[in-house]
Amino acid sequence: MTQNLDLTDIQGNIVKAYGSFGFFKARYLFLRVDNGDKGRDFVARITSKVTSAERWSKSSAPSVTTNMAFTYSGLEALELPTASLIGFPEDFVMGMSKRKVILGDDGPSDPEHWDKIWQEESVHIWISINGKSIEDVEERYQWVSKQIDATGGVSLLKGHRGEDAFGNPSDDLPYQDASILYDENGMPSSKEHFGYTDGIGDPVFEGQTNNEKRVIGRGKLTSEGEWVPLATGEFILGHLDEAMEYPHTAPRPDLLSNNATYMVYRKLHQNVGTFNKFLDEQSKVFPGGKELLAAKFSGRWRDNGAPLVHTPDEASKADWDKKFAAADVPTQKKMLTDFTYNEDIEGAKCPVSAHIRRINPRGSLEYGVKGAFNTPGALVDRRRILRRGLPYGKAKDQTSDDGNHGIIFMVLNADINRQFEFVQQQWINYANDFKLGNDKDVLLGNHSAKCPGKVVFEVEPGSGKPPHFVKNIPRLVETRGGDYFFIPSITALKMIAGGIIDPT
Amino acid sequence: MSNIAGKAYAMNVITPIPWYKAWLNWLIFKAALLVPNVLNGLLTLSLIHYARWVIIPKGKFPHLDSSQPKEELKYSYMLFFSNFNGSWDQYVDSFTFAIPSGLDLFWKMNVRYPKSVPLTPFHNYIQHNQIDTSHYYNAYPMAASNDVKSAKNVKKALIDFNAASSNKDPDEFLKDYNNLLNNLQHDFGEMSHTPIVSLAALAVKMRHAGAHEKSHNHLR
Repeated sequence: MTQNLDLTDIQGNIVKAYGSFGFFKARYLFLRVDNGDKGRDFVARITSKVTSAERWSKSSAPSVTTNMAFTYSGLEALELPTASLIGFPEDFVMGMSKRKVILGDDGPSDPEHWDKIWQEESVHIWISINGKSIEDVEERYQWVSKQIDATGGVSLLKGHRGEDAFGNPSDDLPYQDASILYDENGMPSSKEHFGYTDGIGDPVFEGQTNNEKRVIGRGKLTSEGEWVPLATGEFILGHLDEAMEYPHTAPRPDLLSNNATYMVYRKLHQNVGTFNKFLDEQSKVFPGGKELLAAKFSGRWRDNGAPLVHTPDEASKADWDKKFAAADVPTQKKMLTDFTYNEDIEGAKCPVSAHIRRINPRGSLEYGVKGAFNTPGALVDRRRILRRGLPYGKAKDQTSDDGNHGIIFMVLNADINRQFEFVQQQWINYANDFKLGNDKDVLLGNHSAKCPGKVVFEVEPGSGKPPHFVKNIPRLVETRGGDYFFIPSITALKMIAGGIIDPT
Repeated sequence: MSNIAGKAYAMNVITPIPWYKAWLNWLIFKAALLVPNVLNGLLTLSLIHYARWVIIPKGKFPHLDSSQPKEELKYSYMLFFSNFNGSWDQYVDSFTFAIPSGLDLFWKMNVRYPKSVPLTPFHNYIQHNQIDTSHYYNAYPMAASNDVKSAKNVKKALIDFNAASSNKDPDEFLKDYNNLLNNLQHDFGEMSHTPIVSLAALAVKMRHAGAHEKSHNHLR
């Protein structure tokens, strides 16, 4: 590690995935600034409780965290000078709904179907509360509510779909709750609603961790086949990025943008009934059985996240499971992330179209031509995204899409267009980089009845066996709302609150 | 933008190069073609249809007619001409990250070439010297070069299969057919509309009208 980050200045949600620190419950609030002066007073009050990225010991870890971010119109409402506003990038200025043609948010994902809160252009502030228990979350929420009442310059916006405290469906909730899912014994799990194990393999960047083992399979690949952390500037402004320069998405002055980042907030509804029906139907014609088919969709087995490239069939999976069960936690983590596709360039084990291979092709875009590029991940290292977030709702009826359940998906990156939007547009909804034409990601692609999805699961070349065709893929995930946010440093929060942001 | 037609983008970049260094550049190009593996990176970047570098010696710009005034140029020039799939950023960035030393070698003699890393000076250099395409016709707007290569594979394999296997008994035919699918397993990508690169008013309007496949694009 060559970089020491100012962890007291960076907001905690950038460096930490709170879920993996035992913060199983979250609440997301969205506010409108009605008055610049009072709005800045509100920002000052919340800033006093904003959680930094400082390392926690067992005794110093809090039971609840708070973080804050702004949309472009939010920064306007807080009266940042034009000289600063003009430095923000086009994607952030436009906001997520106006980027729908790039993101593929069409049909049921079109912004006209999003939760009511996104129908008006007045979401200015995002506040997240992550707690170890719902009581911790509730207590901090009450505190935030008091600050809203006390300053009078901001309004908490209603309009989230979900279930109210009594379990009744509502489309006008004042906040978005999220929580990890629990297994049938009531134990915490890292599953999402389709049954996949989630949150493995987030990128690791310079300054984030002292543990070299955690970098394996999560940093960037060198020409020597080693894994090293990605440049900090891929995820935090004011630091050198993979192009050996400071991210040009940073507005002026430097104190506004240093240690900040951009966040994509997306509420993704999961069509659980359609998924289960589709998987059942397709497994009837798939030779390897239902769980292997589900694994082919994602690149990992559903039960424990075993990477398909090391566990291409039942026998190898059984061996892997045995080793995994006997291993200590660091070894388990390594087993989940330590792989490339070099021995599987053809995709016979992990399909080229599998979700995790699409969103992070590792060294495979060299197509086995060793040394073709400067480094094996030359086309990948500038497309990595930090994923944060939690599931929301419960899929009570496994045969139905109805209800409110999915993932609050949050992406952190230094350049929304170059990183998140590129992955979404080019690697989820398109596949020219994988030489697969317009084929889309099975799980996240914007398939439609008019244009149902299709993918090919490769087999061993020369084996004489035909590849497996998956056809008529329906839309499994629908966008229900979201926007692009700027997460300033704690210094910048104080300056925004003080009304002293000025590039001169 | 008139640089874009369907899934393709046309890029022209003309950069000055001191006339006394132009021949060295010419030698570098010759050598690159002779040494195997030098162009591996370029060839592996499958979004590129082709890339061509041409040295135009001092005073050798085309002079089509005696009525065309003669220009007085101080430099020789290097013309870089390429068609590719995807956006300008995606292309230029792929070049920078995949083959930075190759780029530096090809452009190193050129006036004020900044080197390919860091990125922004290189972006500025290309942007400053790029000549927009005023008319661009694409016969297959929904096809990327990978799609064309796959289509050619499928066509040839199918014709061969038909000739070799059409009269075989069912079991043999099935075996050959499965072999055919196995050999072509990376050539079955769907061919459809281009991902959106341009947010120009006309492009957005055409998209809403469902006219994605419009192929002819020119300045108006």
